[in-house]
Amino acid sequence: MEQLNAWFTDLLAGNAIFTANTLGFYWDGLVTTVQLVFLCLVLGIVLAVPLAIGRGSKRPWIKWPIYLYTYVFRGTPLLIQLYLVYYGVVFFDGIQDSIFWVVFKQAFYPALIAFTLNTAAYTTEIFHGAIKNTAKGEIEAARAYGMSKPLMMRRIILPSAFRRALPAYGNEVIFMLHASAVASVVTIMDLTGAASYVYARFYAPFAAFSFVAVIYLCLTFSIMFCFRKLEKRLLAHLRPRGA
Amino acid sequence: MINFQGYGPRLLEGALVTVELALLSLVVAVVLGLLTASAKLSPNRLIHGIGTLYTTLIRGVPDLVLMLLLFYGGQIGINMVTDQLYYAFDIDIFINVNAFLSGVITIGLIFGAYMGETFRGAFQAVDEGQMEAARAYGMNPLMAFRRVRFPQMMRHALPGIGNNWMVLLKTTALVSIIGLSDMVRVAAEATKATHEPFLFMIPVAAIYLLIATLSEWGFARLAKRYSTGFGESSEWNN
Amino acid sequence: MAATPIPLEARGIKKRFGDHEVLKGLSLQAHKGDVITLIGASGSGKSTFLRCMNLLEQPDEGDLIVHGEAINFRTTQRGREPANWKQVERIRAKLSMVFQNFNLWAHMTLLENVIEAPVHVLGKPRTEAIAQARDLLDRVGLLDRADYYPTQMSGGQQQRGAIARALAMDPEVMLFDEPTSALDPELVGDVLKVMRGLADEGRTMILVTHEIAFARDVSSQVIYLHQGVIEESGTPAEVLDNPRSERLRQFLAPKH
Repeated sequence: MEQLNAWFTDLLAGNAIFTANTLGFYWDGLVTTVQLVFLCLVLGIVLAVPLAIGRGSKRPWIKWPIYLYTYVFRGTPLLIQLYLVYYGVVFFDGIQDSIFWVVFKQAFYPALIAFTLNTAAYTTEIFHGAIKNTAKGEIEAARAYGMSKPLMMRRIILPSAFRRALPAYGNEVIFMLHASAVASVVTIMDLTGAASYVYARFYAPFAAFSFVAVIYLCLTFSIMFCFRKLEKRLLAHLRPRGA
Repeated sequence: MINFQGYGPRLLEGALVTVELALLSLVVAVVLGLLTASAKLSPNRLIHGIGTLYTTLIRGVPDLVLMLLLFYGGQIGINMVTDQLYYAFDIDIFINVNAFLSGVITIGLIFGAYMGETFRGAFQAVDEGQMEAARAYGMNPLMAFRRVRFPQMMRHALPGIGNNWMVLLKTTALVSIIGLSDMVRVAAEATKATHEPFLFMIPVAAIYLLIATLSEWGFARLAKRYSTGFGESSEWNN
Repeated sequence: MAATPIPLEARGIKKRFGDHEVLKGLSLQAHKGDVITLIGASGSGKSTFLRCMNLLEQPDEGDLIVHGEAINFRTTQRGREPANWKQVERIRAKLSMVFQNFNLWAHMTLLENVIEAPVHVLGKPRTEAIAQARDLLDRVGLLDRADYYPTQMSGGQQQRGAIARALAMDPEVMLFDEPTSALDPELVGDVLKVMRGLADEGRTMILVTHEIAFARDVSSQVIYLHQGVIEESGTPAEVLDNPRSERLRQFLAPKH
């Protein structure tokens, strides 16, 4: 153990950039990125499920506003959405005097709101597509057994739609991880923020950004690995037996 | 009319930069994508490996990080090369990395990887018998590609190209971070100066939506053209 | 010996896929006006032999001589391959192939399919190619389908269109690779009728087919292949009516 410690200290002493201090920055950045992405994904799903159901509604005053929302948020850059929330939040009357200001004067929460709205729009469309593609026969069978519409949605349509949405949703998770790098633009010290800081301090762009690229690569592969496992488990019913 | 407080002309110029950047990047991405797809379909292990490494690395790292790496790292790399030239041959040149050019290269490089995947799938979707007939009638490889494989591949590739283009268009916003005066950067500067985020950001968002909507229409028309001979094509859905 | 070179000659063609030798030294001479039919069970190598003749498969050994011109080969690490692909392309243009699955180019109309290679490979003027294509389509009974896309036609129509495409090259030799095997039974007759017409007008043809009755009718020579070897060869009367081997007799026996 002591040997390992000594080896590690030697390694850090051997270069000027990756000191314990800067590695600490990267670690904090990693924590911030993971928190931000995880929270926005969870909130995004919570929003997306009802929105996806509404998106498939026959009633135009439910269907069209949701479509407009997903169209706008999927058709414009996340960076603009982030700027709008980050700079726009002060325009809510009285927010600066309320207790919420403690929360909103940090960049983290405006970023979380922008990311959540963004991923919810994509997730809504992914779920909507999956719901729409439910086999007609399964719905017919549910109807034949006297299921009510909400029951059918809960017991038959959503469980199978979620499973089929899994591969596309996995891509969305990776997309969101990568997109979260723009958080650094509004002063958040996420992974990319940490790398930019190290770059600025040591003027070593290759080292600073390559290192963070490797961390992102590892995160991406971990997410891909988890979704592969999950798909294998949950989509087993779509594969031929013994294949 | 909306009063843009003097930022109107610069916003328009910025919009032009965005469009130029997006179109040029698309060209780079398509060329790189075709090369990558060929590499990944190559029987040569080394070439195949290079293609796979390229697509895996690019798709595993955020666009912004790649852009920062290539833009800032690229400048230092070029400086190192010119320094060497100076010491070794007494050639004194200074190359300043142009933000627009590095934007085009970076975005082209990123989306070349995505296009590569699109084209690879599309190439594989073309029935081998079609190419066999081309060979059997004496076409050389280039002609067989141009006259048979490419037009047939495009039918399968267009939906993917369309999606990549939509993502690429939005990715151009990131060049504002490395200092290029696209419309997002102009809007951000104007916002900081005037404290009017909605006045500048919403019109810029509207321009993105407008370009996206026009593109969708254009791609639907192209899809129709490349689906001749294949009955009612329903592959284009967006 | 005729003064003009013979259209197609194959000498000692050998071909292996991995460890499996599918062609074990096959030879064949197609003189002008010959109709040579290759028959045999599936896996006998008859299609591979045909595909070697226009180098869609590369023979591992043996020579090909088309209209007096021998194809040059060279040996690389990957195996034996043509030394000069330009030569191969030129020779392929003289040997039109008709495929089992038609392989009409799906993104072109029938007329465009027929003029494609004459215009772009042979360099024929477009108007001339179109006039010729219309004649050929008329001949195979598809003039009214000139502007249809392949997917809009029946299999039999596609195959007759493919024959028109082959004829448009003014080929030295026509190669037919099981041209009726992918067709519904009721569509076979029209295609065979077109092919019979070609045989009657003295076209040099080499065909792989399961239609024994048709082979008996039109062939000048029938070759029976078994496991990559020519077992019997001769006139239809010799091979089909008086088979020497028990194996060929069984092959020809009506299936039940």
